[in-house]
Amino acid sequence: MTTATLEDRNRRTMLLAFGGALAMLGLGYAAVPLYDLFCRVTGFGGTTQVATEAEASAAERMATLAGGKSFSIRFDANTARDMPWDFRPTQVTDRVAVGQRDMATYIARNNSDQPITGTATFNVEPEQAGRYFNKIQCFCFTEQTLQPGQEIRMPVLYFVDPAVMDDPNMKDVEQITLSYTFHRAIENEETKTGELAEQDS
Amino acid sequence: MATTAEGFDAHHEDHAAHDHADHKPGFFARWFMSTNHKDIGTLYLIFAIIAGIIGGVISGAMRAELAAPGLQYMGMIVDMMGGDGSSFDQQGHMWNVLITAHGLIMVFFMVMPAMIGGFGNWFVPLMIGAPDMAFPRMNNISFWLTVAGFFSLLFSLFVPGGVGLGAGTGWTVYAPLSTSGSVGPAVDFAIFSLHLAGAGSILGATNFITTIFNMRAPGMTLHKMPLFVWSVLVTAFLLLLALPVLAAAITMLITDRNFGTTFFDPAGGGDPVLYQHLFWFFGHPEVYIMILPGFGMVSQIVATFSRKPVFGYLGMAYAMVAIGVVGFIVWAHHMYTVGLDVNTKMYFTAATMVIAVPTGIKIFSWIATMWGGSIEFKSPMVWAMGFIFLFTVGGVTGVVLANGGIDDNLHDSYYVVAHFHYVLSMGAVFSIFAGFYYWFPKMSGRWHSEFLSHLHFWVFFIGVNVIFFPQHFLGLNGMARRYPDYTAAFEYWNQISSYGYVIMAGSMIIFFVNIGYALVAGKRAAGNYWGEGATTLEWSLSSPPPFHQFETLPVIEDHHSADDHISDRPATA
Amino acid sequence: MNFGTIARNKMHFLTMLVAAFMVAIAPSGAVAQDISAPASTVDAAEVVAESVADGEVVIDETGGFEHFGPDRILGQPTSADEDMLASMTFQDQYTANGNYALWMHDAILLPIIFAISLFVLGLLLWVIARYRRAANQVPSKTSHNTLIEIIWTVVPVIILVVIAVPSITLLARQYQAPPEDAITIKANGYQWYWGYEYLDNGGFEVISNMLDESEALSAGEPHQLAVDNRMVVPVGVPIRLQVFGADVIHSFAVPSLWFKMDAVPGRINEKILLIEEEGIYYGQCMELCGARHGYMPITVEARSMEDYNAWVAMQPGGMTRAQIQAEDAAAAAPAPVEEATDDGTEEGEAVEAAA
Repeated sequence: MTTATLEDRNRRTMLLAFGGALAMLGLGYAAVPLYDLFCRVTGFGGTTQVATEAEASAAERMATLAGGKSFSIRFDANTARDMPWDFRPTQVTDRVAVGQRDMATYIARNNSDQPITGTATFNVEPEQAGRYFNKIQCFCFTEQTLQPGQEIRMPVLYFVDPAVMDDPNMKDVEQITLSYTFHRAIENEETKTGELAEQDS
Repeated sequence: MATTAEGFDAHHEDHAAHDHADHKPGFFARWFMSTNHKDIGTLYLIFAIIAGIIGGVISGAMRAELAAPGLQYMGMIVDMMGGDGSSFDQQGHMWNVLITAHGLIMVFFMVMPAMIGGFGNWFVPLMIGAPDMAFPRMNNISFWLTVAGFFSLLFSLFVPGGVGLGAGTGWTVYAPLSTSGSVGPAVDFAIFSLHLAGAGSILGATNFITTIFNMRAPGMTLHKMPLFVWSVLVTAFLLLLALPVLAAAITMLITDRNFGTTFFDPAGGGDPVLYQHLFWFFGHPEVYIMILPGFGMVSQIVATFSRKPVFGYLGMAYAMVAIGVVGFIVWAHHMYTVGLDVNTKMYFTAATMVIAVPTGIKIFSWIATMWGGSIEFKSPMVWAMGFIFLFTVGGVTGVVLANGGIDDNLHDSYYVVAHFHYVLSMGAVFSIFAGFYYWFPKMSGRWHSEFLSHLHFWVFFIGVNVIFFPQHFLGLNGMARRYPDYTAAFEYWNQISSYGYVIMAGSMIIFFVNIGYALVAGKRAAGNYWGEGATTLEWSLSSPPPFHQFETLPVIEDHHSADDHISDRPATA
Repeated sequence: MNFGTIARNKMHFLTMLVAAFMVAIAPSGAVAQDISAPASTVDAAEVVAESVADGEVVIDETGGFEHFGPDRILGQPTSADEDMLASMTFQDQYTANGNYALWMHDAILLPIIFAISLFVLGLLLWVIARYRRAANQVPSKTSHNTLIEIIWTVVPVIILVVIAVPSITLLARQYQAPPEDAITIKANGYQWYWGYEYLDNGGFEVISNMLDESEALSAGEPHQLAVDNRMVVPVGVPIRLQVFGADVIHSFAVPSLWFKMDAVPGRINEKILLIEEEGIYYGQCMELCGARHGYMPITVEARSMEDYNAWVAMQPGGMTRAQIQAEDAAAAAPAPVEEATDDGTEEGEAVEAAA
C-alpha cells in the first residue's frame, strides 16, 4: 500500500486523531462566542438586536411606507436572588406602532446598606420576536452602580423592525414581553470604583 | 466477518511459537504496567464489574428509599457517610448525591469500560488479525486514567458539596446548580473525575482508530471487518469528537466555580442554557457510544448461533455510521422544555425521529439473520435475543419522547427514566452479558455453566422488567424523576419496581457464582468452542489465546464477498 | 393510600373545615413564606401595596372568596388501588392542547409502539419456533434481499411521517402566541418554593410552600402536592404564563394541564395556558434544583373570572382589571407628577431622541 513503516503510519493516524480531538476541544470553547454571535444575529432564544440612530430612522421611514401594525409591549423586571434591589418598570404595558421609536423607563432602587453594581440580562418573548426587537439605547448595555438607598430611573429606547410584518411566525403575535433581570455584577466592588476613580483623575 | 482457511493456518503457526508467545512478565509488571491488550482488556472488565457492583448497590439504596413514600433510609446513609442524618436538607442532598453517583458510575465506569475498554481491547486486535493495539503503552495509560477518574468520583462523596457531602448535581452537572448552587470541592472532584475518564477515553479512541485503520491483517478490507470492529470504530470516532466538547464544557464549569469566569453565569453575561447545549452535544453521542459496541456484539452472536452470515452486512455497518452521524445533530431533544422557539423544536423533533430508521434497519437485519438459520440457544444467543426485544421496547418509547409536544408532559418524568434504562440497563447491559458469555471461555480458557447462565438470564430478564416497566406508568401518571419522596398515589408501582430490584440483585448473585464456578472448576474450553457458526479470527486461536498472537499475520482470502464469509471447511477448533 | 376515597368519605365536614381554614389564612398568604427566603422576594408585593394605597383603591377584605376544597381536585395522580388503569396512563387533561396531545399519544403513538413491539416479539418467537436447530438443521446462506431491505427502510419512514403530522400540529398549537389581553402571571422558581406574580393585577407575589404531611392530610389534600398558598388563575380565558428562575434552574410542571416550562435564571420563558374547567391541579418542580427539589410542589386553582377577581381583591396590592382601568382613568385626569430622578438629564435626552 505505502512504503511508510507501520510505526510511521500509526503515528500519522494518531496525530490526525488528536488533531480532530483538539479541533473539537477548540470548537467547545469557540461555542461560547459563536453561540453569543448566533443568538445576536438570529435572535435565537429571544435575544434582542442593537440598532443605531440611523437604522432607527430608516426603520421609521420604512414603517411609514408599509403602514399599519402595532404591538403591545410588556415590560418585565426580575432580580436574581442575591440582588437586594427593587427593580420594576414604570408601566406594565405600552402600545407601539411598528418602526416607531418608543421609550420605556425602569426604576431601580438599592435597598441594601452598601453600594452595589448591577448588570442586566434580557430577552423577549415570544422568542421569534428577538430578531425584530431593536434597542437604540439601554441601561443593559453597561453596568449600573447604586449607592445605598439610591433610586434611579433607567430608560430603554427601542423600536420594532418593520421586517416583522413579513415574518409568518410573527403573524399572530399581539404582545411582546421585554424582560430584564438584574444580577449582582461579578467584579469586585472596590476594583470597580478604583478604576472609575482612576479614569476620573 | 471475513475469516477464511488461512486464518486457521495462522493458528497453527502460533502454536509453533508458543514458547516465545507465552512468555509473561511478573505479576506486578503484568497487571500494573501492562501493555498487553488482552491483559488490559481483562483489567477493564474487572474494573467494570467492581464499578458495576458499587453503582448497583447505590441503585439498591435508591430503590429501597422509593419503595414507600417518606424518607426512610437517607438519614441513615448520611450518618454512615459522616454527615448529620437528622438534617432534612442533608437527606435530600444525599439523594441527589446517590443519583449523581449512580449515573456517572454506570455510564463512565461500568458500561464504557466494559464495552470499549474490555471487549474492545480484547477482541478488536484479535478480530482484525493484529498482534496488539497500535500504542500498547498509551492503552495502559487509558486504563489507569479511568481508574484515577473513578477514585476522584469516589473521593467526591466524602468532601463537602453544598448542603452536605458529595456532588448532588445529577450526572448532567447543569449550571448554575453545579456552580453557584453547590459550594464545596465535591463538584470539582466529580468534574475532575470526568476529565480523567474523558482523557482516558480519548486516548483509547485514538488507539482504536489507529489500530483498526493500520493494523488489519493482509486482505481484511474495511468492508470485510467483523461488525463488532465496525461498531468500535464508529464508537471511537464518536468519543473522539464528542468528549472534547464535554471536556471544554466542564472545564468552563471548573473555572466558573473557582476562577471567577462567567461562561454560564448570567451575572457576567453567560448563559446557563449554553452549558446544556454543550453537554448534550456530547451527551447524545454518548448514549450511542454506550450502545453501538453492543450492536456489534449482538451482530456477531446472532450470526454465530444462527450459523448464517449477518444479513445485509453493509447496511448494518453503515446504519451504525448513520446513527453516529445523526447522533450529533439531535442533542436539543434533551432540552425541549428549556425555552426553545417553535422552529427549533420542530427541527429537533423531526431529526430525532430520523434515528428510528437506521435503528429499525438493525433490528430487522438481526431478525433476518436468524430467519432461515439453524439457531442454537446457547447463553449468549439468549441474551442477544433478550437484547433485541428489550431494545425495541426502549426504542419505541424513544419515538414517543422524540415528539416535542408530547415531551412537554413526559420530560424529566419516570417515563424518561424507564426509556433510558430500557435502552441502557437492558440494551447495553444485556449486550454486555451476551458478549461476556460469548467470550468468557475464550478469555479465561474455562467454561461457565450454561445452566447458570440461562438461569441468570431469566431471573435478570424478569427482574429488570419488573423494575422498569412500571416506571412507564409512573412517568405517564406524572411522577418526576430525581425525587426521593412522592405522593401516596405513586406507591403501588414504586413498590413493585423495588421488588424487581430484589429479583435483579438475586440474578447478579447467580452471575458471580457462575464466574466463581468457571474459574475454579470450569471445564477447559477449546479454541473454537461455538463451532461452525463462529467464523471470526479470534476463534482461530486457543482459549485463552497465547500471550502474544499473530506473530505471523493471518491472510484473509479476497475472493469471498463481504458477506459470504463462512469457511468452506468446517472450523478446526 | 387513596385520597379520592378519603375525599369522598369525609368530604362533607372537611370541605367546610378546609374552606374556613383557607379563608382564614388567605389574606396573610402573600407574605407568608419560608424562613430561608430573603426579604427581597416580597418586595414587589410591598412596593405595589404602597402604590395602591396612594391610588385610593378600596380593597374588599371580605371578598366573598373561598378556596376550593378537596372535592374539586381534578389534576392529580391516580393510585392503583383506586383505578388500576388510570394509574398506568396520563392524568385526565383539562386544556385543549392537553387533550389533543393525549389523543395523539393514545390514538396514534401508543397503538404504533405496541404494534411495533409485538411485531418484533412475534418475529422473534416465530424464528425461535421455526428456525431452532431441531427444526431446521441446514441454515440458508441468504444474506441479501434488496426488496425486503427497501421495505424495512421505507415503512418506518412512512410511520414516522404519520407521527410527524400531528406532532408538528401539536407543537404549533402549543406555541400559539397568547392574545394581548391574556392574564399574565409569572411563576418564579426559588430554592425551594414557588412565587406567583400577578403582573396584570397589581404585581403582588404569592409565595407558595409545601404543606407538611399532617397539614395536607387534615386538609384532605395529597401530601407532597398540597401547598399553603395556591396559584389561583382564571378559568376559560388565556393565561400568559411566564416562568423565571431566581437562583438555579427549576421547571414549572403540571401534568394534567400538559404544561412544563423551565425556569431559567436570567431570562423568562412564556407559554399560553387555557384551563377549561374550574378545579385544583397539582404539579411539581421537574428540574433538579438541589436538596429540596422534591419538596416544592405546585397547586393551581382555576376559578371563574368573578371568583378570581374576588381573590385578587383580597390580596395585598391586588387589583382587578376594572380597578386598574378605573385608576388609570382617574390618573389621566390630573397630569401625572414626574418623580425626581438622578438621571433626569439622560432621560430628557432620550425623549428628545425619540421625538
